[in-house]
Amino acid sequence: MSRYDLRGRQELEDRIRKTVDPEQGRIPMFVYTDPDVYALELERLFGRTWLFLGHISEIPNPGSFVVRTMGEESVIVGRGDDSVVRVFLNACRHRGMRLACEDFGETTMWRCPYHGFTYGSKGDFLGTFMGAPFEKVAYPEGLDRDSLHLLEARCETYRGLIFATWAKDGPSLEEHLGDVSWYLDLIVGRAEMEVVGVPEKWVVPTNWRLPAENFASDAYHTATAHSFLSRLGMVKGVDFGRDGYHIDPGGGHGLGVGVHFDDESYFPAELREEYERNLDAGQLATLARLKNMHGNVFPNFTFLIPNFIEIEGRRVTGAMLRVWQPAGPNRTQVWAWHLVERDAPEWWKKLGRRMYTQTFSSSGMFDQDDTENWEAQTRTSDAALYRPEEFDLHYAMGLGVPPLPESEFPGPGDVYDGKFSESAARSYYRVWRDHLLEDGR
Amino acid sequence: MTESAAGAVDLATRIELEDFYYREAELLDERRWEEWLELFAPELEYTAPIRVNRKSPAPDIIDGLGHFDDTLSSLTLRAKRLRTDVAWCEDPPSHTRRLITNLRVRPAEDAGRLSVRTNFMLYRSRGDMGAYDLIVGERQDTLRREGDRWLIAKRRIIIDQSSLGTKNLGVFL
Repeated sequence: MSRYDLRGRQELEDRIRKTVDPEQGRIPMFVYTDPDVYALELERLFGRTWLFLGHISEIPNPGSFVVRTMGEESVIVGRGDDSVVRVFLNACRHRGMRLACEDFGETTMWRCPYHGFTYGSKGDFLGTFMGAPFEKVAYPEGLDRDSLHLLEARCETYRGLIFATWAKDGPSLEEHLGDVSWYLDLIVGRAEMEVVGVPEKWVVPTNWRLPAENFASDAYHTATAHSFLSRLGMVKGVDFGRDGYHIDPGGGHGLGVGVHFDDESYFPAELREEYERNLDAGQLATLARLKNMHGNVFPNFTFLIPNFIEIEGRRVTGAMLRVWQPAGPNRTQVWAWHLVERDAPEWWKKLGRRMYTQTFSSSGMFDQDDTENWEAQTRTSDAALYRPEEFDLHYAMGLGVPPLPESEFPGPGDVYDGKFSESAARSYYRVWRDHLLEDGR
Repeated sequence: MTESAAGAVDLATRIELEDFYYREAELLDERRWEEWLELFAPELEYTAPIRVNRKSPAPDIIDGLGHFDDTLSSLTLRAKRLRTDVAWCEDPPSHTRRLITNLRVRPAEDAGRLSVRTNFMLYRSRGDMGAYDLIVGERQDTLRREGDRWLIAKRRIIIDQSSLGTKNLGVFL
């Protein structure tokens, strides 16, 4: 649908308004892969909201940059020569050629490989390749240098996480994150973290929202989809994923905190002093009981502390960040980072990396089975687009269950006892619907 | 004379190694993982670093984080998992065919060991529409002798994609 096809757009908005009904636990399947919904998402969601792009340790020096994606657009995330982190559309103002054709690197300026238009590390237009004498002849009326500044997104960081948005005004990153930041601290704020190597990427034939929603809200699938764990005696039973809390921190974010009942924290004693410097008492108490944590920052930024397992004689976990990068209504490029405490003991670094890769990378024993589900759901949705009636999906688990009283858990948000619930998925779709209908209300 | 013909191995050993790799491919394509695991030494390091796009001459292989980062015990766990009735990603199984070519043999740094490089192409078809993925790359193996057979002590897999075009690596490389 073209953005100028107003009648079609009005019909689409009406259909979303009428059928996306998280309040009753009903989501129509067409929203999974409808190309018109996807186009609306690129414009009103990915074009406006805060998007995660990387971790500060990936661009350590003035001039360091990485190339990332916002919506479907390539962007440069770079540290200027003044050390400030900025985000630019990876496109020359002359003819739109990509300025950075590599994944990462270091540079003092951007020179377009097509005609040589050149930009400083702050995005300022420096000149044409041919230099000032040529410019005088070619542009006798002068070049408006300000209009040639690279297109720049608004960029902010939280605890080393780099985000950007194309919205010139609107909420700050802190406002966008809201109460989920308390939980993000447990994974990226507990110590000085650094990215291990580079992010791993692979392409899955799924709509981007299916995995995002899974990490936000779906602990229940572990009992079936990942039941190999109990088959092999690695967890106490198929319902191992239930112990803990299902949390709706607002803003469309969602998470689950899994807890254990042992006396000792599973995290290494060597790091506890650093944790104590960085976390408050409630966060420390939560970390001491934590055995896993999965969640999603709206719309497509996932975080995970995988379930601790014993590997090579020691109990370890990893720290995963992930972006579900849309690449069409039924294709997603997965970006997966693994982080570790910079000052961690070597055994924790080595075994944590192994544990993460074996459970949650492209070869991860969990991820493998998840991709099978998301692909099949995507195909079902594609085929169902032409059904004469709506195909409603069931999102009602936990509907009517009240959250725990605040005194029961130290963290913010609506906290539900036990991780098996779909409350956070319902909130996700409420916020998603509000974003998509923004212009229609 | 080429490096390999100059005396790394004699012709009989070269043929023995070809047979070794053909048999390995057969074991994997036939999903005989328990027999496949017997080809590895207990100290095995099994890794697959990530490829990136960079301006030359910067290296395009990054070893920090990989697609695989395994030991013999974790590969054994993966095989056990695949034998359960709940390994959804490979049950029903993919149709796979591994083509192993371009065998190159050099003496390894440790005496008595061989450094063996082969190219591989893994064809993997799943589902009901005949779609398939191709995973192509190079294996960099270190082999050591135990009795009358070779054992793989180290395997580093270089995949020729910076963003994998298969939805998961539920298959062994």
